[in-house]
Amino acid sequence: MIDRLANGFDPFVIPFMVGMIFVLTYCGIGFLVILFQLSREDRKRFLLSLVNPVTAWKNIKDIFLNCLIHVKLWKRNRMLGFMHSSIAFGWFMIIVLGHLEVWLFVPERIRLLYYPIFFNFFVAETETTLQGAVFFFLMDFFLLLILVGIGLAMIKRIRSRFFGMRRTTRASLLDTIGLYSLWAIFPLRLLCESFTAHISGGSFLTVPMNHFFRWFFGNELNYLPTWWAYSIALGIFMLVLPFTRYMHIPAEMLLIPMRNAGLKVRHPRRGFARIQVLSCPGCGVCIDACPMSVRKENLKDCTVYLNRQIRHHNERRITEISEKCLMCGKCSEVCQVGVDGPLMRLKQRELKKYSINQHYRNIRPDSFPVEGTGKVLYFAGCMTHLTPSIRKATMSLLSKAGIEARMMDPDGGLCCGRPMLLAGRQEQARELIRLNTAIIRSSGCDTLLLTCPICYRIFKENYKLDGIRVVHHSVYFNELIQSGLLKVSKDESRTLVYHDPCELGRGCGIYEEPREALLAAGNLVEAHQNHAESICCGGSLGSLSLNYEKRREITLNAFENLTAEQPDAVVTACPLCLNTFSHYADRPVEDLAVVLDKASES
Amino acid sequence: MLLSMKETILVVGGGIAGMETAVQLKALGLTPVIVEKNSSLGGHVAQWNRLFPDMTPASKVLDPYNDALKEVDIYTDTEIASINSLQKEYAAVLSNGKTLRCKAVVFATGFKLFEAEKKEEYGYGIYDRVITNRDLERWFDTRSDERVPAKPAAIGFVHCVGSRDVKAGNSQCSKVCCITAIKQAIEMKELFPDTEIYCFYMDLRLFGKKYEDFYINAQRDYGIHFIRGRVSEVAETIDGRVQVKAEDTLSGKPVKVKLDLLVLMSGIVCDRANNELARSVSLPLDEDGFFRSLDNIAGVTCTDRKGLFLAGTCTGPKTVPETLAEARSAALNVYQYLKAKKK
Amino acid sequence: MDFGFTLSPSSAIELDTLDSALYRKLCRIEPGARTCIGCGSCSATCTAAEYSGMSVRKLLLGLQRGKKAEVERMLSNCMLCGKCTMVCPRGINTRRVILTVCRLYDNVEGTL
Repeated sequence: MIDRLANGFDPFVIPFMVGMIFVLTYCGIGFLVILFQLSREDRKRFLLSLVNPVTAWKNIKDIFLNCLIHVKLWKRNRMLGFMHSSIAFGWFMIIVLGHLEVWLFVPERIRLLYYPIFFNFFVAETETTLQGAVFFFLMDFFLLLILVGIGLAMIKRIRSRFFGMRRTTRASLLDTIGLYSLWAIFPLRLLCESFTAHISGGSFLTVPMNHFFRWFFGNELNYLPTWWAYSIALGIFMLVLPFTRYMHIPAEMLLIPMRNAGLKVRHPRRGFARIQVLSCPGCGVCIDACPMSVRKENLKDCTVYLNRQIRHHNERRITEISEKCLMCGKCSEVCQVGVDGPLMRLKQRELKKYSINQHYRNIRPDSFPVEGTGKVLYFAGCMTHLTPSIRKATMSLLSKAGIEARMMDPDGGLCCGRPMLLAGRQEQARELIRLNTAIIRSSGCDTLLLTCPICYRIFKENYKLDGIRVVHHSVYFNELIQSGLLKVSKDESRTLVYHDPCELGRGCGIYEEPREALLAAGNLVEAHQNHAESICCGGSLGSLSLNYEKRREITLNAFENLTAEQPDAVVTACPLCLNTFSHYADRPVEDLAVVLDKASES
Repeated sequence: MLLSMKETILVVGGGIAGMETAVQLKALGLTPVIVEKNSSLGGHVAQWNRLFPDMTPASKVLDPYNDALKEVDIYTDTEIASINSLQKEYAAVLSNGKTLRCKAVVFATGFKLFEAEKKEEYGYGIYDRVITNRDLERWFDTRSDERVPAKPAAIGFVHCVGSRDVKAGNSQCSKVCCITAIKQAIEMKELFPDTEIYCFYMDLRLFGKKYEDFYINAQRDYGIHFIRGRVSEVAETIDGRVQVKAEDTLSGKPVKVKLDLLVLMSGIVCDRANNELARSVSLPLDEDGFFRSLDNIAGVTCTDRKGLFLAGTCTGPKTVPETLAEARSAALNVYQYLKAKKK
Repeated sequence: MDFGFTLSPSSAIELDTLDSALYRKLCRIEPGARTCIGCGSCSATCTAAEYSGMSVRKLLLGLQRGKKAEVERMLSNCMLCGKCTMVCPRGINTRRVILTVCRLYDNVEGTL
């Protein structure tokens, strides 16, 4: 191989260079800005993690598996996985191979940024060597791989159902420009490499096309316009990249090391939050996942659009999306990149200013004497007072098992504080936590029993109750059954389905214990989407602005998913889910405690 | 013009609307056939004890039908499997296998009483001392219901259970529960003169003839307490009584009271089991789930489908006299429809 | 010339002159607030009622009748628990009403 042009330059590389320098500068400055937006300890922790061999290796491995191979996407849907990994990995390989080619054959040009990209224009093949043939073969192979991926991407735009996605993201204008220029890059590369294949060499893809073009056109000078087109496509793509969803390509490479360093979101718009927003690839998997998407008017409220609005600084829409969210966690569960949708929205909520700020100074914890001596303290919580079947069944089960228990709030008590926390009012939530902690400590209990997953989650995550076991009734009663303290008889004639409450399942990771307990009482079938992919009932207190009528379709959709296998009854472990489903249910909806109580003898 | 005696008219439902329609149709020379899904006629009124405003025993309204319907074909324990509209008439297939060819159909399918278990916060089916208005009427008849204590010291009535409540799926008023509540409160006070009786209401809707007298008597002569506040929660005390929480909105203060018996006024809601039937003859349903009349003022018993008529609570909550009046009106509509067809 | 006695201000609510700017803004954001029938379920079930007399019914009534000062005192103990929203028979999103009033109380013309 020799250089064809003495100065190794042609004006057509200018569009590419402009785009490349722009995007490298933008990303470089952008990443430095984000780094400085972190707090001092976070920055130190991150930089240390980069030199720590354990996290450094994990970073490389994660970047390879997620950014290039898209392992998580393969698990979701093989077609989607193949499509994205073929483009990402293929492009990565032709860039790497291009650099290798320059280093091997024309090493003096290694400093020129554009040389590896336009190798086939600048370098002519003097003799066919095995080394050259191997490289050309690999280049053509990966180019073909990418072209297949691009083909699939085009199909996906028209028929996303082939890829298991009912709905996909609506592109903005810049996104569309980026998309079309990206799609144009690789066919144009094929075109221009095919035109010069008789000079620079090629393989199974480019050589036959070269023969065809030369037979068809006959004029050798046709190749220069194609190289211009290729360079312009690249240039346009890189110029728009920072303003489109394709920013995720560089951003994810910073997100992964930051996450592996253990950084947490602190400010809603800066630092770790910003890199999460930039890493959103706009894939739209969260749209199908969102329980609100059964209503067309809510399609624009999914996390992918929240990220877009944050980038556009559209405060009105950011507020609207953040306040509507049910905070069910399903979008972050399916997110390919790990954008934490509910947390981002919670942080936006914390930005709001209030004229009236609640205080609880006039409430004294010692005005709630907890009577009795039982070691198990049962906190029913606000919701359970509106679903007395749960309370009665719980007390009944406790007495059947011979547990000495007492209620913390028999006549109503204070709220646990989680609804306040979810609304972004941290200070108020902390005060409620302080009050409740004082009451619990003064009772002298060793176990805090909850029937409501919302309460359970905040008691577990935000309360400091050392020495006291915080347990949800599904786990507790399951233990009593397994240990024989509670005798439950199975009703073989009854088929039950268990609904995973968002706060208990995705929120606390409790999936199996309720099912184990239920199997002792009846036969179990599963909903179509269950465990971590269960659908929110729609009654969540996480949403600040959804009203009752608007939640109806969400609930009906969730109920339909639950009853897909025709169970006789639906079982929940959350009083709010129970209340929400019972408005529209066409068959009995019961809490786990009620089912167990009916199935146990006195 | 005399109509042939063989003009068969299908009457769906054997409650008072269906029975009265059949009686009138027979008097007009037509041949009504009653199809009733339960084992006996009388519908909801058969489960009532005494009717307002004159405390008429329900049997006084129902008994005359025994004779009046002597020559009328009645199928009990039978449902309509399907109705098909043919060119000149309707063919109804019954669940006992018979097919009925009829010139017109009168739907008198009635209502469903709201299932009070759905308002879980009131504790129906969970606590021992909570019953519904229908349970209380049955108790007036039979005097056997272990939930009703022998000597109640305090009784409460909760108005609007399942009515005016979007969470219960019915935002409409059920019309008759307020007067029923006061009637039952007076009846309980007559049985237990030393008992304190409380009525928890949102509004008092006493629109009918002599209804306001009930209210005045309840206040003045029977000393029944009226508290303007909707009950939000019911809890159980250690000794098995129920404790009710409400806000006395007129004084703006919360109220709590322990009761020995709580009576929930379940409202009149549409019977969704009728939807299939309505769909099969393209009979439209209103937004509230009841059958839709041709016109809510002058055409309540008519529909926009030829030969199909409506009578009674299948179009919405009604009192007994209104139901009987509609039944007669529907019978007349059928007669005029057939006369016009003959021409 | 005053004759030695003064007239105390009228305690009557003057419907045509009271300041209902906050109420009107609230109803634009949450139209359901207009449908309150004052049944009192929210007050009866409220977790904070016994400490601050909190009642969404009274909140809406206070705003309608121009009694803004009482509203602040009532809202001071609200825990946003959501029980009022669950029991409201008119389906009003009471939590949104509360949050909106808390945000706009001093700043009626502001954005949410």
